[in-house]
Amino acid sequence: MLGLDFSWLGDATYQQWLLVGVTNTIELAAISSVAAVIIGMLGALALTLRIFWLEAIVELFVEFFRNTPPLLQMLFAYFTLSTLGLKVTDPATGLSVPLLSAFACAAISLSLFGGALAIEAFRSGIETMPRAIIEAARSLGYSRWSRFWRVEAPIATRICLPALTNILTNLFKTTSQASVITVPELMYYAGQIYNDNLRTLEVMLLILVIYVALVSVITFAMARLERWMAFPGYGTGR
Amino acid sequence: MDSVRTYENKKRGVLLLIALAVITGILVDAMAGGSEQWQRVAIRLPLILTGSGSGWPITGGFALNIMLSIASMAVATALGIVLALATLSRSAFVRIPSLALMNFLRNSPWLVLLFAMLYIIPFEVHVFGLSVPFPPFVKAVIGLALPTGANLSEVIRGAVQSIHSGQWEAARSLGYTTTQIYRYVILPQAFRRMIPGWMNLYALLMIATALATVTGIQDVLTILNTSLAMESERAIVYFYITILFLFFAYCYPIAVFARRLERAVKGDNL
Repeated sequence: MLGLDFSWLGDATYQQWLLVGVTNTIELAAISSVAAVIIGMLGALALTLRIFWLEAIVELFVEFFRNTPPLLQMLFAYFTLSTLGLKVTDPATGLSVPLLSAFACAAISLSLFGGALAIEAFRSGIETMPRAIIEAARSLGYSRWSRFWRVEAPIATRICLPALTNILTNLFKTTSQASVITVPELMYYAGQIYNDNLRTLEVMLLILVIYVALVSVITFAMARLERWMAFPGYGTGR
Repeated sequence: MDSVRTYENKKRGVLLLIALAVITGILVDAMAGGSEQWQRVAIRLPLILTGSGSGWPITGGFALNIMLSIASMAVATALGIVLALATLSRSAFVRIPSLALMNFLRNSPWLVLLFAMLYIIPFEVHVFGLSVPFPPFVKAVIGLALPTGANLSEVIRGAVQSIHSGQWEAARSLGYTTTQIYRYVILPQAFRRMIPGWMNLYALLMIATALATVTGIQDVLTILNTSLAMESERAIVYFYITILFLFFAYCYPIAVFARRLERAVKGDNL
């Protein structure tokens, strides 16, 4: 069909490369997702404190990372963190090598990028919380802490879940850009394979399908989580 | 109200202070030897902005990124409208395949899609004895327009579905046909609601044009990479800061404007 030839998939070397690529992609996405959610929670929490200088700093952070290309952020991290002094001397060879590997640079810049998106999502989740619920909790005599822990946080988590799904899928898709700074993930191995067997179109189609499948798993799992967490009789809950 | 205003003013003051601190930082660094690097950036700035050393004619650089984003957005808008109408169709034969296509495009990474388009679209197409060439720029436009169009169709669909169902029922009971309902009742109201989403997507697309460097067009990153080959390791930092600032200066005002519109639209709930 269409003259496509997928016989190279039988080659054990290619299978090995694809497997390593997928593993590294998932690892990179998992690390940066966890870090992004933590950054997002801390940032959104900092915004609820309503301290003017803290809010200014958090907003600047969010706007910077949302309005510049993640690819450039990654390249910047990769090329400049080593020149700005983050170097160690290898005791074995006496050569000066960058302290952070390409993988670490990608993970750091992706975490910050995802964190900026997460702060924005969590903030808007907290903002759209129905005022009446908070007032009801207050009139029932909840203390500040238990109001946050028992009323605000559970509701805000559920409001934020759809936006969080978006961020996690977005972050997963952005990991493919780490191939530009030679992180050995799926996209990087795709380049290795088609440089080797010259079946560019077939390799790219396969990689596209793998990415869509992996992202679909995330979307599916998050939809299940959303349904499982939903309050009965509220939103998607039954 | 007054306390809110002083709070906002204080925040703005801090932002101004940070900006001042950054400027002093740059000045201090310039005196400590950074000015030499900034001079190198200044020499290359016309090249980075327009792709030619003298600043004219425009052959690439950041200007090409802007042109790419505008061309791509035009294609994406057309694609998004068609896809949105198809996913809203009442016929399952149209709706289900278009929903599948939309989800496929939305779930695939932009970089991979761009790469795939680079190889799927032929170098040139022969139609009726005419050969239509597909230069890398056109491939980049299509590769970026596909995911943007899919995301835009979701924005349009959301806006159309946010119109209260009572409007549909009222229009239908007045004897309007489906086309007429869309034309005179739904779309004029939905249009107002999709503008902020459209603008947000444009900002996202502009950011994604940085990926177009993989197609080999002379965009800002390609030019940066070729000119960095002639620069010292220390100058690279200054070049990257300049490019990051260019993108920020272009996208941030759009984002702010979109957010303001969003707030204005939120009020009209019918």
